[in-house]
Amino acid sequence: MKKKSILTMLLAIVLVFSLVGCGGNGGDTPSGEEKATLTVVNWKDYGSDDPDFIAAFEEEYNCKIVNLYMSSEEDLLTKLRTSSPGELDVCLPNCTILTTAINEGLLMEVDVSKLKNFDSLFERFQTQEDIWKDGKLYAVPFVWGSTAIAYNTDIIKEPPASMNSLFDPQYKGQIAFRDDYNDAVMAAAIVTGQDPNNPTDLNKIKAKLLEQKSLNRTYWKTGDEFSKLFAGNQIAIGMMWSGQAATMKQEGQPIAFVVPEDGAIGWVDNWGIVSGTENADLAHAFIDWMISKDFQYNWASTGGPAPVNQEAAEAIDPEYAISAAMDEESLNRLYFMEYRSDEVKRAWNELWTEVKATN
Amino acid sequence: MKSKKQWLTAPGLLVLLVFAVAPLFIMLYYSFLSDSGAGFTLDNYKVFFQKSFYLSLTWSTIKNSIYVTLISLIIAYPLAYIMAKKLKGIKNIILILIIIPFFTNQLVRVYSWLIFLQDGGIFDAFLNSVSIIEGSLSLLYTRKAVIIGLVHAFFPYMVITIYLALEKVDNALLEASSSLGATKLETFRRITLPLSRPGILSGILLVFVPCLGTFVEPRILGGVNGTVIGTVIEDQFFEIYGWNFGASIAFILLAMVLISMNVLNYLGREK
Repeated sequence: MKKKSILTMLLAIVLVFSLVGCGGNGGDTPSGEEKATLTVVNWKDYGSDDPDFIAAFEEEYNCKIVNLYMSSEEDLLTKLRTSSPGELDVCLPNCTILTTAINEGLLMEVDVSKLKNFDSLFERFQTQEDIWKDGKLYAVPFVWGSTAIAYNTDIIKEPPASMNSLFDPQYKGQIAFRDDYNDAVMAAAIVTGQDPNNPTDLNKIKAKLLEQKSLNRTYWKTGDEFSKLFAGNQIAIGMMWSGQAATMKQEGQPIAFVVPEDGAIGWVDNWGIVSGTENADLAHAFIDWMISKDFQYNWASTGGPAPVNQEAAEAIDPEYAISAAMDEESLNRLYFMEYRSDEVKRAWNELWTEVKATN
Repeated sequence: MKSKKQWLTAPGLLVLLVFAVAPLFIMLYYSFLSDSGAGFTLDNYKVFFQKSFYLSLTWSTIKNSIYVTLISLIIAYPLAYIMAKKLKGIKNIILILIIIPFFTNQLVRVYSWLIFLQDGGIFDAFLNSVSIIEGSLSLLYTRKAVIIGLVHAFFPYMVITIYLALEKVDNALLEASSSLGATKLETFRRITLPLSRPGILSGILLVFVPCLGTFVEPRILGGVNGTVIGTVIEDQFFEIYGWNFGASIAFILLAMVLISMNVLNYLGREK
């Protein structure tokens, strides 16, 4: 009996270790050829993993592109912090983590002279504050979009002119505001005439959001929730993302998207080169391709987000540009989201929690 | 032989230790961490008790859970009783029907309720067609909708635990009771109900406790008033990476769970 149990235990140990072995084996099998590999961390289906682009780029530069996907900005930050030097080459942070990544030295300086397309970017993207530190460039804007107002064109005939329409009692019971502390505070700041990135009177914002609460059909959190509400005719107007509104329109929904005159919320995704990369030249070439007129034009006019390249933006069919809110007029109305410290995030989130919790 | 059998608990204990106890202590550690990085602090707990809206939210979450538990009990007891004592053949079919919702993804279930309850949805259309109401009940995006969704999600636990308890009740006891002159009601009150008490108590526990922590049903079915304490924890972790405060709320919730378990144990002890 005793022998048997020892045997079982041994067997169990062997089994466990053989499984552990399986985990460690994969990965580092060196390919015979010495072809540079460019590892890109990006969202899935977000331009850099387009097969046509990959094929063209790999042929031009005799290299290989590997796409790693991030699940959130925070996930990207963790990847940057924990990767070994040279493991990652290019990544796509937005304002929520960019400043942190630069301050922690996770990104290397971008050499503008190696980017021949940088000058074609809209001026505001070239001079965007958070990509520069001490006069050095650390990230390159890639695409932008907005969180503004979407409405049902069957019900609302006149495009809403102000962010105030989301706070307008005439749409009571037909509004879907977004359940997001940042968007809520920024939108209420626009309506109360404050700087959406640095509001000073948070009490006024809270009061405005509390006043708005009963006007909603509901708050939405995921894009899927919004499109179900819209398709089920539960709402007529709401806060929405430019990208999803364009997709819903393509699906035949009676939806229109507008950046109102008093402004809305904008976001930018930026390319950065990871510190410790061994392929800095290739990384610059990759970014240059990503911001080129052709790439930006093709992607933007086939359902992608708005281009930062001015020549690409001007080449897009004006009607399409306006309907997708990627026209210059919309761009100039936006308040682009800026980096927020933890204290600010906590304060805004607590404000929003209080609004949600108050009956 | 005895020691050998105890050895068999090792894998289970190991799993519990690594994936339940250790993470719990990690969370406890976080809940005392200062946001400014200056060592340990009680601030995370203090904030919760200083802001009145956290407390009122906690109270409304507890109330929700109590409603759900009571309604589940009222629905589940007769069903479990009939299954255990009155039915023979179709008992298993009913059991399967009760278990089937577990096979369905939680989000699918919630969205089904969304479509079912929305204005002019299936429920309204049905009630209109049989002329019970006119127009709409406007159930969706109210507390009632949340409670309906949660009862649907959790009442099977109640049915199963009560059913198992009732099945163990010896029919001979019931027969003896009636042959000694007790009415049906008296038999139920003095024999069946006390004997099924363990099932009721564990059912209450299995419904009430997970209800306290839900946030998906309240958010999707409850509309602007669908915020519960679970939402606050979710927002802390996923929106602002506020692990410290999130962990402290989670521990306050855990304390509430432990208290309610003790109360139930106290009620359930043999007299």
